[in-house]
Amino acid sequence: MIELHERTRRISPSRLHEILAANDARSLVDPFMGLPTHLNYLKRHGIAVHGGDLLEWFVRVGEGIVVNDQTILRDSEVAEIVEMLPGRIYPLDAFKAWEGVFFSEEQCMYLGVWLDNVRNLRSDGQTGLAILGLWRVFCYWLQKSHAPDDMPDVPPSELAWTYIRQTESWVATNLRHNTVRSADVLTTISAQAADALFIAPPARNSFRTADARIWMWEAWWQGNPYFTIEHAYRDSLFGARSSDEQSYQRAIASVLSAAAEYPLVVLQTTERRLPEFEPLVRNARGRVEILAPDANEVYIIAKR
Amino acid sequence: MTLFQDPDAVPRTAASRLADVLDAFGAVGDRAAGNAPGTARRKAAAAVSIARATGRTEDDANALYFAGLLHAVGAIGNLGLRRGNAFSDRTATMARWDFPADGARVCAGIAALPSPVADLVRWQAEAWDGTGFPDQLRWHGIPAAAQLLQLADIVARTTEPDEALVIVGGLAGRGIGPDHANAFVRWFHLTGGEVEPVAVPLDALRADATPPAPLVDLLADRIDAHNAAEGRRLRITRVADAIAERIGLAVAERDALALATRTFAAGELGHATAEHEMFDPLARLGIAERAENAAAAADLFDGNETFAHAAEILRARAAWFDGTGEPSLLHDAIPKGAQILAAAIAYDALESHHRTQIREDRTAPADRLDTAAGTQFDPAVARALLDVTKAHA
Repeated sequence: MIELHERTRRISPSRLHEILAANDARSLVDPFMGLPTHLNYLKRHGIAVHGGDLLEWFVRVGEGIVVNDQTILRDSEVAEIVEMLPGRIYPLDAFKAWEGVFFSEEQCMYLGVWLDNVRNLRSDGQTGLAILGLWRVFCYWLQKSHAPDDMPDVPPSELAWTYIRQTESWVATNLRHNTVRSADVLTTISAQAADALFIAPPARNSFRTADARIWMWEAWWQGNPYFTIEHAYRDSLFGARSSDEQSYQRAIASVLSAAAEYPLVVLQTTERRLPEFEPLVRNARGRVEILAPDANEVYIIAKR
Repeated sequence: MTLFQDPDAVPRTAASRLADVLDAFGAVGDRAAGNAPGTARRKAAAAVSIARATGRTEDDANALYFAGLLHAVGAIGNLGLRRGNAFSDRTATMARWDFPADGARVCAGIAALPSPVADLVRWQAEAWDGTGFPDQLRWHGIPAAAQLLQLADIVARTTEPDEALVIVGGLAGRGIGPDHANAFVRWFHLTGGEVEPVAVPLDALRADATPPAPLVDLLADRIDAHNAAEGRRLRITRVADAIAERIGLAVAERDALALATRTFAAGELGHATAEHEMFDPLARLGIAERAENAAAAADLFDGNETFAHAAEILRARAAWFDGTGEPSLLHDAIPKGAQILAAAIAYDALESHHRTQIREDRTAPADRLDTAAGTQFDPAVARALLDVTKAHA
């Protein structure tokens, strides 16, 4: 059974929105965006948002709930995702490597079917919504493997239907231009001008200890059950080159240096890691405030 | 009109009075959110019960009590719920997702509350699988106490204990974390799913940090915002206060009237149209509507000692001086505060209409109201209102 992390990054977009509002910031760049539900929140509240990440499925989801202003999945389109379509030949053994290890035979078969159906969707927005909905099914299955008797059995297609239908309720427009890109941190920072830069830096070597629910879904999207995200991070700023403490700190400093043009930088960390980041931010910026509503949620707010 | 200035009132601790104001916030929040009356109190009690049964600290239980009580304060004035919003259903739904964060901001401004309360309110509707709102937190990113508050919400909204058990079982792994669902099952078997009322944890309140009067004003302003009637309570309070002064109303009565002028409009929450927009404030046709709103507002303060006298005023504000209103009280059987409140509300409605409409009938609002003296209104109150408004003019 695969381990599911108890430590989960908590990004509270409503709190972030309060910080942005207090500093009169109307646009934001997040180069470590991860699953961009927080950018969706900010978008719905009128902030122009621009995100970047190295994992492709995060970017695809961003196209569904950040970039996409109006495309939704109708019932007939959801039906074409969650079930096998007559006449189509599916790669039913694409995820056989996971069978008996993480998932049942039926679940592995569905993973193959869904991947094929999603890759045949008509638009980036719909693809992103479907990936997000199906990811929640995937997480449900992994969670259920830990608590088989405590969670109800829901047929795969029903669960997928429910979750995919739910995603469309998050689609909204803010009449602003919002973007996501598949890019390393520095590229995202320099590609876009905005009032604020939000950074929630990954822990050192975090690509090696990433949550299974994150890297396995990238493997699903790549259609390769043996895929590991070390591939994605190989040549990145926070990849193997930053595996020791000093080079990690240099990487953070280079991010802050690249952010010199942003009027506001908000770095989110934890109380435990605050001493690691605070001196670096103070070194880069003149006015620094700490907002610490919780030990797991500390914001270093830096102005020029 | 200053609140809580009655020197002859029964001495009560500042914490009790503050707790009553918070209770009022909770009750009004429920009405704004469309919850059944008493949901906030039940949710608070259920949260404490579940917290204790699952081994949480007393500090956690206290914070959960107040978070349960104030769970819906963000609904008061919420853009998706307020009267007259022009949103589509989809946009209104999205706006409603903001009510926990709005509530957290209200709670964060109440320094007397235990510090975790604001974030418990903020994250009370987050779902384990990340499909909740407002922040779409997921898994262990949701504080465990916030998940307990969600369990309490399920208990508070169900009529039969077994129903809550079935709902939680169905949500395990989706809305509720499996561990929390298990904890709920343990609590259920310990208590039979029954929630006993709990004492308000007054010791957990830092009453000296938050005076209650500004809180009542904040509540009144949010009610007005919800009803799309910004500034109404200020106007009505000013007129009512001047009338009370002129007719020499006793201090205790004025204190209760001050609360009533700030909270009467809670009875209108959830109505698509304001009562004065449906019927002329001097028309008999509107009596039933006014009485219904009056009773709804008064019912919100059942069991709330600080608001008890104000509730009597609220309940009687649709009574007519000649005994033909609802309730059918006659002359001095109607609390004087209710007679003043009724006149002030009617005057404000007439005045607002007079200000915004091009009318052939140029009769001044106070003069129109004077024509109802002796029937709808106490002649002494009507005369005082006429004097007050003329002096003001």
